[in-house]
Amino acid sequence: MLISLAPQFFFSGITNGSIYALIALGYCLIQNATGLVNFAQGDFVMIGAMIMISLYNGANMPMPLAFLTAVAGTAVVGMALERGPLRLSRNRDTLTLVMVTVGASISFRGSSMLIWGKSDHIFPAFGGESPIFLLKAAILPQSLWILGLSLLVLAMLYVFFQRTLLGKAMRAAADNPFGASLIGIPVSRVVALAFALSGGLGAMAGILITPITSMNYDAGLMLGLKGFAAGILGGYGSAAGAVVGGLLLGILEAFGAGFISSAYKDAVAFLILLIILFVKPAGLFGSVRVRRL
Amino acid sequence: MSRLPFVPEQWPALLVLAIFLALPPLLSESSYLFFMLNIIALNALVVLGLNLLIGSTGQVSLGHAAFYGLGAYVSAIASTTFQWPLPAAFFLSLLFVAVTSFLLALPTLRLEGHYLVMATLGFNIIVSILLGQMENLTGGPSGFPGIPRLHAGGLDVASDVRFYCIIWLLFLLLFAGTLNLTESRLGRAFQAIHEKELTAKALGIHTYRYKVSTFVLSAVYAGVAGFCYAHYVTFISPKSFDIFHSVQVVTMVVLGGMGSMWGGLAGAALLTCLPTWLHRFEDLHVLLYGLILMGVLVFLPQGLIPSLHRAAASLPRVVPSRKACGHEHSKTAGVLPVSEGSPALLQEFSPNGANPSVIAHHHGHAPVLRLEEVSVSFGGLQALCNVSFEVFPGEVVALIGPNGAGKTTLLNAISGLLRPDSGEIIHAGARITNLPPHRVAAMGVGRTFQAVQVYERLTVLQNVLLGLHVEGRSSFFSSMFRTPFERGEEQSLKAKGLGFLRQFALGEKSHVPAVQLSLLEQKLLELARALALSPSLLLLDEPAGGLNPRESGVLMHAVEMLRKKGMGIILVEHDMNVVMQLADRVVVLQYGCCIASGTPERIQKDPRVIAAYLGSGGLRH
Repeated sequence: MLISLAPQFFFSGITNGSIYALIALGYCLIQNATGLVNFAQGDFVMIGAMIMISLYNGANMPMPLAFLTAVAGTAVVGMALERGPLRLSRNRDTLTLVMVTVGASISFRGSSMLIWGKSDHIFPAFGGESPIFLLKAAILPQSLWILGLSLLVLAMLYVFFQRTLLGKAMRAAADNPFGASLIGIPVSRVVALAFALSGGLGAMAGILITPITSMNYDAGLMLGLKGFAAGILGGYGSAAGAVVGGLLLGILEAFGAGFISSAYKDAVAFLILLIILFVKPAGLFGSVRVRRL
Repeated sequence: MSRLPFVPEQWPALLVLAIFLALPPLLSESSYLFFMLNIIALNALVVLGLNLLIGSTGQVSLGHAAFYGLGAYVSAIASTTFQWPLPAAFFLSLLFVAVTSFLLALPTLRLEGHYLVMATLGFNIIVSILLGQMENLTGGPSGFPGIPRLHAGGLDVASDVRFYCIIWLLFLLLFAGTLNLTESRLGRAFQAIHEKELTAKALGIHTYRYKVSTFVLSAVYAGVAGFCYAHYVTFISPKSFDIFHSVQVVTMVVLGGMGSMWGGLAGAALLTCLPTWLHRFEDLHVLLYGLILMGVLVFLPQGLIPSLHRAAASLPRVVPSRKACGHEHSKTAGVLPVSEGSPALLQEFSPNGANPSVIAHHHGHAPVLRLEEVSVSFGGLQALCNVSFEVFPGEVVALIGPNGAGKTTLLNAISGLLRPDSGEIIHAGARITNLPPHRVAAMGVGRTFQAVQVYERLTVLQNVLLGLHVEGRSSFFSSMFRTPFERGEEQSLKAKGLGFLRQFALGEKSHVPAVQLSLLEQKLLELARALALSPSLLLLDEPAGGLNPRESGVLMHAVEMLRKKGMGIILVEHDMNVVMQLADRVVVLQYGCCIASGTPERIQKDPRVIAAYLGSGGLRH
């Protein structure tokens, strides 16, 4: 009985997994550019979805335009976080900066509550509501949109980092900021760009998942934490790891929820996180740092 | 006062706090006021534990709300559902918290890096989900009602005021104990682990054990707070123990100033009250809370209390500070011993400082170190390839070779910082090949580092005391209670440490932070600290690097004296003047292989060595 549901679990797993992968990529970009864990990453997800809701439901903007505007708007929010509090902070200690992002996360939640209220919001799915059947699994067209758009973004990011000068400059700045600045790469602008990109990625994740799960001012937190867990599963700071970790976490979570109990769905994700930390702390694709004296 | 057991060094400040805390019951009967003050005390307890953890590991836990919650729920279930008496429920809950935190810390703290944050975060989320889902045990999301109030004998803690007295008394006791701990030999080791963990290991400090112990201790503090909370409010629900509460307590720590116990108290008080003050702004309060938090973090660099301290210190002070300055200046001139004119340096070095075994070996001819075919590789790179040689007591063996030849790698392999792939390392007859660095150090292998590794924020004396750490015996318990034994031991260690400093003409600067020393003084301090381990083997990694000829003369003189005391010394050095003057024997490494060894004169003429240094093509050195 349960086995026959496996394809269903699998498809819902990769749908959620793609979302986690997008969020984990956002963490990864900021980790590589600054060495920080950005606690406001989940709030980028929420803000993107909320802007989309205002533009589409409120201002009746066409969906593709609203989508692009919301992503761009959240990218600006991401950049503002870096240009504002993080850059102003006089204490450059990593932990203090991480706590600044905690403060930012609370502020984002607070403003969102003021602007959009406490209730759940939703907008229609991209491709209608009638499911497609494949291997006895009902797949919402939205799931296909999520998979397709995530793949597209991944491909674009890959081309950006491997083929363009700016992308290579970003990789150089992440690898060795001092060396990069010596050869004329504007490291501080590159860092701002990383925040903008990760804001945009978060917004995309939020906009894609909202038609399935709806969104409220508080929902970014759990999504952010899941993305974080996905990043660790894959190997924190590794882009390939973020994608594989996201998909794997989504699938494991869907099967865990299906075979054990959906009440423990969230616990499964974090149990996997703990097991990975205990067994292979560098994650699937990461490497352990070697300290030298 | 501070000579009595258990009374901390900072007792005047604690007394002021205690008097201040005695005021509210005399002045007010508002149960709301006492409720707030009680919650502050509970948060401050959790924060106290967290500060201890940050102080000792430099790591943060995002799971302390879970330990707080476990303390509350385990005791609630035991005392309500199973009708256990309160003391039994108390011990069960603490045991439960201690065991879970131990199991969580064991795999996580073995690693460097920020794994603890991630593991505790995951743990907290799992615990809050379990508390919400295991309805027949915990009551689920709707909570657990009807928990008995605290009571002992005939005393029932029925009012907010009574609980106020008990919880703040408990807090003051634990606060005093924690202050004692941080000021003890163990507290010093915690600071060393936080600042430079590898160096701490090389000083014989069992860093892993301390990190795990402080983590468990800090979790138990949270468990105690949770127990008190459950039996105070008599109704608990999972919402109070979720990840956001963990973030909140960490915020209190950061706001007050990380590692500052008094700052933690201030942070707990402020952040507990802030939401209630902000509630009058209704929907605006979340945003305001976030903005205030960010503002404080951005504009007060070190947190509240350390920032206040700094502000107070920067106020113009009139007489005393100037006097102290002049005092110091007059001494600096005399501290640097000149190479020939420094007979005082090391003269009073006492043989009881050295390991008795050294003396024995000095007279016999057993080697103090024997390397047998030691090989180390990093991935594809063969860093050391079948290196074998011996070092005898009273002998200086210089290890030379071009950059990247494997010299520091060899020292790291001997001191246990990395494991050789094959071969044996035998120290004074005992095999130390795969021992962890702290064991190797405790067996009498001292070392200095290529880049000086003094603890910059600690004083000169504290640095040397870290070298004496392995000699101390006082435990967590005796440190927290400042037992007469602990006081006595601390006194004798201090006297001994000062003795070492005087030998290196650093006695006058014992209370100066190490960061203020010159490079030569830092190197001498590092040497003094290594000597405090009573080593029979000393590993010196480029001691003369960065020194001018006069200064390196002082250092050579010091090494010369140590050799005369019967220590075996391995000296890695690029300065050939130093090598030729000091070394009895020279071992030359190139690409990880030993290409020559012998007396300095022979090595100077060896064609292979000349080729290695000058290369066949051009100038290499």
